[in-house]
Amino acid sequence: MVFTWLQAAILLFFLGGILFAAGPLVGSLLLAPKAHGGAMGESYECGVPTHGNSWIKFGINYYFYALIFLAFEVDILYLFPVAAAYASPQGLATTFKLLVFLAVLAAAVVYFMRKGVFTWPRKIQVSPRP
Amino acid sequence: MAPQNPSLAPAVNTVDPALIAQPAVQKLVDVCRAMSIWPMTFGLACCAIEMMAVGMARFDIARYGAEVFRPSPRQSDLMIVAGTVNKKMAPAVVRLYEQMPAPRYVMALGNCAISGGPFNIENQYNVIQGVDTLIPVDVYVPGCPPRPEALLEGLFAIQQKMTGRRWWQVPQGGQS
Repeated sequence: MVFTWLQAAILLFFLGGILFAAGPLVGSLLLAPKAHGGAMGESYECGVPTHGNSWIKFGINYYFYALIFLAFEVDILYLFPVAAAYASPQGLATTFKLLVFLAVLAAAVVYFMRKGVFTWPRKIQVSPRP
Repeated sequence: MAPQNPSLAPAVNTVDPALIAQPAVQKLVDVCRAMSIWPMTFGLACCAIEMMAVGMARFDIARYGAEVFRPSPRQSDLMIVAGTVNKKMAPAVVRLYEQMPAPRYVMALGNCAISGGPFNIENQYNVIQGVDTLIPVDVYVPGCPPRPEALLEGLFAIQQKMTGRRWWQVPQGGQS
């Protein structure tokens, strides 16, 4: 087995990195007394006391806004490089690829339109498919 | 004597000993702890102004290793109760104390935190008469507000409590 000094050095630095990261954690685990009880297990350090648990149903309105953002914003975002590249002629194949990309994103917009997202109701009701 | 703060629960202070609790090891670690105390950035009233002065260049608590004021109780081991603890604020103080990791130390800075100070009057309805009714206090620093030197002395006292010896020379004219 060939084992050069370079490989030894890499191994040593790797070990050093692991010790540097894990050493303080293990050290505090072994050397420090442990306080517990009271607010130690609380998620937050200030503010009003939390009540209820987090496994509840959330409204997904903002999820729709995020998806609309994706549909329009990503559209524009990825068309900027295309616009920059189209200064020089690219050929028909590239145009076809671009149209496929636009069609996929347009499908998302059509989907939201069918779901009634663009009527901006106070609460979006997503009814399951009949 | 009736409980002083009927609506407030004192802090839960259960601490398990370390896994490696040999005195020789812990003594060494205690010196390391004492030389790098991390206080909590936490002020309640005008004493906090003195605490800020202590952190600045003129008094410079960094000379004694305690300049890393942490904004989170989970990272700090010294709570400087700087100022008046009123009943509205007391639950937050207790909560912060409970969230500090062990070993944790508390300095009651100023008369208000020690005993209520000027607010220690009959039929007081709002100010906690001494923060030690809620959380265990290690060092009391009197003054209204205490001078920054007094806060430094309090830090030295905490270091002495941690390690069993005084690390810094006694200032001229001072008492040992």
